[in-house]
Amino acid sequence: MATLVIMPRQGQSVESCIITAFNKKVGDTVEAGEILFSYETDKSSFDEPAPAAGKILAIFREEGDDVPCLENVLVIGNDGEDISEFVPKTEAEAAPAVTEAAPEAPKAEAVPAVEAVATASVSGEFAISPRARLLAEKTHADLLKAVPTGPNGRIIERDVQKLVDMGLTVSPAAKDGYSSAVEGSGISGKVVLADLNAPKAEEAAAVTAAPAAEYEDVKLPNIRKIIAKSMHASLSTMAQLTLNTSFDATKLLALRASLKAGAEKMGIGNITLNDMVLFAVSRVLLNHKDLNAHYLDDTMRYFSNVNLGVAVDTPRGLMVPTLFAANKMTLNEISKSAKVVINAAQEGTINPDLLKGGSFTVTNLGSLGIESFTPVINPPQTGILGVDTITKRIKEVNGEDVTYPAMGLSLTFDHRALDGAPAAKFLKELVFALENFDLLLTK
Amino acid sequence: MPKSQYVDPGKAFDAGFIHFEDIPVCQYNKTLTEEKKIYTKDDFLRIYRDMAIIREFETMLNDVKTKSAYNGVEYNNPGPAHLSIGQEASAVGEAYCLDINDFSFGSHRSHGEILAKGLSSIHKLTDEEVYDVMKEFLGGAVLSVVEKHMNAGGNVKELAINFLLYGALAEIFARKTGFNRGLGGSMHAFFIPFGLMPNNAIVGASAPIALGAALYKRSNNKPGIIISNCGDGATGRGPVLESFNFASMDQITKLWGMDGKYSDGGLPILFNVFNNHYGMGGQTRGETMGFDMVARLGAGFNPEQMHAERVNGYDPLAVIDAVSRKKELLLAGKGPALLDVVTYRVSGHSPSDSSTYRTAEEIEAWKAADPILAFKNKLVKGKIATENEIAKMHEDITARMTEVMKLAINDDISPRMDLNKEPDAISSIMFSNQKVVSMEPERKAEMLMPKEECPRVKEIKGKIRTATDKDGKPVSKMKMYNVTDALFEPIIDKFYDDPTLIAYGEDNRDWGGAFGVYKKMTEAVPYHRFFNSPISESAIVGSAVGYAMCGGRAIVELMYADFIGCAGDEIFNQMAKWQAMSAGILKMPITLRVSVGSKYGAQHSQDWTALCAHIPGLKVVFPATPTDAKGLMTSALDGTDPVVFFESQRIYGFGEQFNKDGVPEGHFEIPFGEPDIKKEGKDVTILTIGAVLYRALEAAKILEEKYGVSAEIIDARSIVPFNYEKVIESVKKTGKIILVGDACERNSVMRDMASNITEMCFDYLDGPAVVVGSRNWITPAFELEKSFFPQADWIIDALHEKIMPLPGHVPTNNFTDIEKVERAKLGL
Repeated sequence: MATLVIMPRQGQSVESCIITAFNKKVGDTVEAGEILFSYETDKSSFDEPAPAAGKILAIFREEGDDVPCLENVLVIGNDGEDISEFVPKTEAEAAPAVTEAAPEAPKAEAVPAVEAVATASVSGEFAISPRARLLAEKTHADLLKAVPTGPNGRIIERDVQKLVDMGLTVSPAAKDGYSSAVEGSGISGKVVLADLNAPKAEEAAAVTAAPAAEYEDVKLPNIRKIIAKSMHASLSTMAQLTLNTSFDATKLLALRASLKAGAEKMGIGNITLNDMVLFAVSRVLLNHKDLNAHYLDDTMRYFSNVNLGVAVDTPRGLMVPTLFAANKMTLNEISKSAKVVINAAQEGTINPDLLKGGSFTVTNLGSLGIESFTPVINPPQTGILGVDTITKRIKEVNGEDVTYPAMGLSLTFDHRALDGAPAAKFLKELVFALENFDLLLTK
Repeated sequence: MPKSQYVDPGKAFDAGFIHFEDIPVCQYNKTLTEEKKIYTKDDFLRIYRDMAIIREFETMLNDVKTKSAYNGVEYNNPGPAHLSIGQEASAVGEAYCLDINDFSFGSHRSHGEILAKGLSSIHKLTDEEVYDVMKEFLGGAVLSVVEKHMNAGGNVKELAINFLLYGALAEIFARKTGFNRGLGGSMHAFFIPFGLMPNNAIVGASAPIALGAALYKRSNNKPGIIISNCGDGATGRGPVLESFNFASMDQITKLWGMDGKYSDGGLPILFNVFNNHYGMGGQTRGETMGFDMVARLGAGFNPEQMHAERVNGYDPLAVIDAVSRKKELLLAGKGPALLDVVTYRVSGHSPSDSSTYRTAEEIEAWKAADPILAFKNKLVKGKIATENEIAKMHEDITARMTEVMKLAINDDISPRMDLNKEPDAISSIMFSNQKVVSMEPERKAEMLMPKEECPRVKEIKGKIRTATDKDGKPVSKMKMYNVTDALFEPIIDKFYDDPTLIAYGEDNRDWGGAFGVYKKMTEAVPYHRFFNSPISESAIVGSAVGYAMCGGRAIVELMYADFIGCAGDEIFNQMAKWQAMSAGILKMPITLRVSVGSKYGAQHSQDWTALCAHIPGLKVVFPATPTDAKGLMTSALDGTDPVVFFESQRIYGFGEQFNKDGVPEGHFEIPFGEPDIKKEGKDVTILTIGAVLYRALEAAKILEEKYGVSAEIIDARSIVPFNYEKVIESVKKTGKIILVGDACERNSVMRDMASNITEMCFDYLDGPAVVVGSRNWITPAFELEKSFFPQADWIIDALHEKIMPLPGHVPTNNFTDIEKVERAKLGL
């Protein structure tokens, strides 16, 4: 009797694990308790011991595979044992890892049953009462998990209600056959069977108007749609969190005053506080590569230069032009370049190429008096720094309370790409740099 | 069964003989000299003209049917044309004696009678009267055509003849300008202002309707007589023979009348048989009947032998002689009368008749005896008219007929109803939907005592109008106001409010109705308004139709709903259809009470609501509580539409269980069509029809207590009309519906409603709309009824099996699809 080894479920919230390494290959003999393979969740890693002694008859996965919990990984047994019943459904067609160990496995027979269930669910051929279907559409209940209790295996209202009560729902984006995005083609928008197989409509265009309400419908301009899409994607797909801090801006303000006073004489432009923050970021960021990076699914892309995005409020909406290789620019260059791209963005004449390619972004709401906020990351970047306003704060100096101008900083980072401590370290270094801007300039 | 008439065993077996009087056969033998003393030249010529007009009218239709043209004018008429060529003298002779207060009813072959009575009426009315009739009729729609398009030389009577011919022909050609907007057609044309009542396409169907008209004249003391025309073939039909008997029944002369206050005497009705020797092709004398002569039938119905007589229908003067004598008898209260008017139909039954049943020789012989030719010869020979005069008359008639035909086929002048432009044209006349408290408000109702003295009224006063008393204890049967009381109250009120109301049926009077609804009413309502009918269901319902056509209101009763079949034509073709077939001219305020039985087996236990609901034009209700019974009966009696009022014998003794305040006193209406939520619930809707309501309540109780399922119970109350809104709302809430009724499940009202609800609530349904009806069997004996009629556990089983399985429930009845398929295969 062959023994199946599945991907264990490590905790209720874990849906799948990644196999990091196989210690054995097909044909190897193992003792009970020997480590078969290693795998990890997003939080920790584990080793899977052999539940029984025997020969590895088949391995259904490869290293690096993301395997849903409770699905089959490998089979241990004796030569010639029938393992067909263990072949996972996704392996049914190709079955790449099944080797000579089980050559005569009649896999084909197992396939139709599995597929039939899957197809039936997707094409809407399962029996469900119209009322239950309507409720499922309203509540996004996951019908695939429904246990039919109606006559002849029909899913009825109470079955869907149970799903809802148990929290078994699917997000609208993830829904398939029976999703609410299905546009009814029947009379009065009735969803008929054919609709379930029809391609999903892009957007539900119909706006059901409340009869008495007064309002104006204005079509969204494209840029708003892009912002909406990008912001929504950012918040819905990333693990964002924000750290807030502030620094003593006494020296920075003094320096800025002297720069301003001597600007004409030195032939430099109007250096703003924001320019100075951009400069500091461009210098500190390279020490924190996880924040000067793109998070691309399973890969991190680290940039060797700081391509600094500058968030600009324009009449058309938010735009983020990029100062490429800001780490190579002087403060004056950063200041001038920033003015050029900000003006171009506000006038709508910006070169679209400059709106891409940023590796990190700075956004400033300080001029609007915002003391602290949660900037939203511009994906696939991993961080964004919000610059807040300057407030008076008190600190103890030599046993006395003295006030000082404190400028706030709000760093949002993607927890998928880095953890809290590295992000905090970046902030800490940035604070030091800003508080000691003269040292930074001389560096 | 009145107690006043003693059935004496001492006399019941007395020996003796039944004696018959001679029945006169063609005894008319007056000479022209004698007749000249009665008729002026104008009279003679008018008789001739009227016969010639009929002949030309029928010839025109025959030409149109057989040659698609008349006098060079082409037309194709796909509708029927049952012509009466050969029968003109019979029609004209009869009509000669009648005025507009004399109502005549006819058959599918009645063009001749319409024209004859129309022409006679035009002659008898003054110019002003005729013009007023034409002006009033359908808002002058018919008159305006002939006034505008035909030249009558300023002569109102000539204009009226154009009006008559055009109105009848436009009706036959289904034109909107016809006498009945084209909705009656050839076989049903009529014109009430001339006393021309509906003609009927069902052979013999006019007899009970005419009987009802005679009842109307008699019970309401109205002037005039009734003519019930039919052919000899119709005398084979039950409704005709039932009507002969009904009209002859002893009580009319022996029991009706009130201390001489009201006119006594028999019904003023002449059953006039146009004996043309054939019922379609079946030869009555010698083949399909055994009476030898129709007149013999009179001897079977009463000692007066219905004053039966056989007359020569080929001689208009012989017919006039006979009809005028019969009319005199009828007006003297000696009706009914029967005439066997011998004639011959030279034309075929219809133009497609190839006369396979008779010889050419026979037809030629009758053609040679042509009544019009014979009468012309008589006039010429008797120097009353010249050949030229007659020829000129024919010329005029042909010219007039051609002109009328051209008008009637002109689509611009005589359009058909356009149901695309006026989609509601027929919908709006299917029911009259009026509320008329009294059909004759100016007249006081004839009653025997003030209402408050009526013994039943007094009895009800002392009753408790709820099923339980203040402490929640059941009220004793004797003290409880029940469904029979609830039906009685609006009926007795209506007897006092509407002088035209009459009520009859089998065992209605002394017995109080088989189920006691009319108990102790005898003392208050006089015989001529409330009586026992013979066991003649066709005549009972048919006469109510005639009574209503004349302007009266009737409640008739068939005792068991199973007897609906005995009055099938009268309910389904007559009561249901005449409002619409008359283009809304007629009203049909009839309440037909039928009772659904139990305990009495296969022919006394059937709920036939579906049969009635299927027929357009009938309103159908089925109350199940005293409050609903009273409210719906009040609405039925106030209305002007025919209502089949279903009652259930299971619940006559039930008190009011739902209305906490008890059954309302005084005038209380429940509008038709509104179902009533008898119990609120949230999980499943149960829609009940009739007495099954109480079994549904039982089921609801079990569902609630045992399975935690909350049932909402809706009592349909009305079947036609029916407002689905409340049911839809309920189904939106519960998602589940079971329809229950005592009718056999197949093609029941529940099936129809289930299908409609499924259409309208599809997206809200959590399972199919399930019907629980009786098995498609005969009703077995009382002891086995629980296997036949729906019971509480059937409802629960159906819910469990078809909609929502109930945890732990073990069904005892088989509601599975497999079982259904098997039963259907077997016709069960």
